[in-house]
Amino acid sequence: MIDHHKIAVEKVQKQQDKENSSKFLKAILLDSFFVFYSILVVQRAIIYNFILELKEIPFSWGEIGIIAVISAVVGTAWAFTKTSLSCKLFGIAKEGKITDLTVEIFGWFLFNITFISGWMITKISIIDLFSEEGLRGAQRIFGALFTPQFSIFDEAFFALIETIYIALIATLVSIPITLILSFLSARNLMNDNPLSILTYNVLRVILNFVRSIEPLIWAIIFSVWIGIGPFAGMMALLIHTIASNAKLYSEAIESIEAGPVEAIQATGANKIQVIWYAVIPQIVLPFLSFTIYRWDINVRMATIIGLVGGGGIGTMLIQYQGLAKWHEVGLIVIMIAIVVWLMDYISAKIRAAIY
Amino acid sequence: MFLKVEDLHKVYPSGTHALKGVSFEVKEGEFLVVIGLSGSGKSTLLRCINRLHDPTTGKITFLDKDVTHVKGEELRNLRKSIGMVFQQFNLIKRRSVILNVLSGNLASMSTFNSVSENFSEKDLEDAYKCLDIVGISEKANVRADALSGGQQQRVAIARSLMQKPKLLLADEPVASLDPATSNSIMQYFEKINKELGTTVICNLHFLSLVRRYATRVIALKAGEIIYEGFPEEIDENWFKTIYGEEAEEVEIR
Ligand SMILES: Nc1ncnc2c1ncn2[C@@H]1O[C@H](COP(=O)(O)OP(=O)(O)OP(=O)(O)O)[C@@H](O)[C@H]1O
Ligand SMILES: [Mg+2]
Repeated sequence: MIDHHKIAVEKVQKQQDKENSSKFLKAILLDSFFVFYSILVVQRAIIYNFILELKEIPFSWGEIGIIAVISAVVGTAWAFTKTSLSCKLFGIAKEGKITDLTVEIFGWFLFNITFISGWMITKISIIDLFSEEGLRGAQRIFGALFTPQFSIFDEAFFALIETIYIALIATLVSIPITLILSFLSARNLMNDNPLSILTYNVLRVILNFVRSIEPLIWAIIFSVWIGIGPFAGMMALLIHTIASNAKLYSEAIESIEAGPVEAIQATGANKIQVIWYAVIPQIVLPFLSFTIYRWDINVRMATIIGLVGGGGIGTMLIQYQGLAKWHEVGLIVIMIAIVVWLMDYISAKIRAAIY
Repeated sequence: MFLKVEDLHKVYPSGTHALKGVSFEVKEGEFLVVIGLSGSGKSTLLRCINRLHDPTTGKITFLDKDVTHVKGEELRNLRKSIGMVFQQFNLIKRRSVILNVLSGNLASMSTFNSVSENFSEKDLEDAYKCLDIVGISEKANVRADALSGGQQQRVAIARSLMQKPKLLLADEPVASLDPATSNSIMQYFEKINKELGTTVICNLHFLSLVRRYATRVIALKAGEIIYEGFPEEIDENWFKTIYGEEAEEVEIR
């Protein structure tokens, strides 16, 4: 009996040891990165740029390499003291005054150098905002907005309809694909054998990657791939909609109540039956709601995507902007605003109604 | 041998050692009640029996078969012959009562028929019979979340009866109900045990309910069995051993 007890406890102990050493490894890496980042920011952005006001900032890989090595040494040493920022972040730090103090001081330091260098990089200038020339530009564009040119109304109206349809088709086509992918990338459904765990992880990586590329960039890719026009815009929206909704859907699946799922499992039902009877009834409403919201987002994005050749009202807008026809631009902007506002209103109403 | 649990250990990934060498036997037709303080391992024990949790070490024999590590089809067959009722009822809230009851029968249906919700006449008839046993067939077409707690628990019992289980596990089935409703729910378990001959293992908190319904009792403390016997033998001393010196018995009628 004692033996069983020991075996059981050791099993779990081993697992925890493994977890802790992987956390420690991550802490070393992150601490090294923190040090590397601080040295670079202080040296380049603050000393070279701000204090010395160098025009040409010197750059050499050798120098970066040396800084990297120094950071790795310092970061590792720091992590070994178990009082570092990363140790605290991963929950393996020594409790005590020293840890609290380091975390506080270094945390503030990181925040401040980031803020200061960020401010400088953005070249924030109150002068540009309120210069005479700047104000004249503002007057021109706002003036045009209030005196729109109605002669292009018909053309703009049809372009807008095209935009709404591009968004609608992208959303509709995404639904079945997203559904399947979301089940395959929900942790609580994909944790029972090595194959499903592999599928889960591979899918997660792909979806994260696809989602991290903005629709605007997908539109550029597709307009080169299949040519400028509504189809390229639709494909860009479709790809991004699938990737981001698959994440939302799968998170909805992961946060369902476990009780009904267990209850159906306990009757001896197989996996598909469990999904159909215990999972789906809990997720239809969130799914519907996400999808309608996504249509709304897609209408706005379709406009932006048009700017780079995705068809619809955006393409029209960029043409008139290129010709500096500000009164036509004014009309288009007003029409876009009205449609976006309407979509927003309608989708909110529908979403409120289904809950 | 109906059910035999031998030297069962359960250690959760978090490191909690919830069961520390639990051994006992259950005979067919018994009404076994498991008592013990919160956290003593009662739920863990029931969940190891129908393998909602995997035991860490030890052995479970059900109907002369070692079921400790069965998988796939065999695991589903094991679960099919063991019904389970939960403290939180765990019904599918947005679906009708009758569909909830029918979902107890999924293991006997083909995947295609269950996904297309194509239930046979016989299944429907059975489902109504199960609802009759717990006296709630007039609510068949109401949405499950429109029912009171006690009614939901009756539907949950009907769902488990739909499996025609040999063993019924009940994890604190009355812990979220008022005293009067608790008693009436316990009476349904008694009826199922006596009239249908289904063996019942039930976790309970109130000793008065234990004395009234149990044919045998085991008490867990920190993952170990510290008492095994008949309900009438639990006296003041045993009570204090099981629940601690500070405890005082609460009556529930
Ligand atoms: N899924 C889980 N993961 C980790 N630890 C768990 C899990 N379920 C239970 N435990 C732990 O195992 C121990 C026994 O829990 P269990 O739920 O079996 O007790 P119980 O006797 O049913 O208590 P209660 O009367 O509160 O329901 C507790 O310490 C609990 O924290
Ligand atoms: Mg419990």
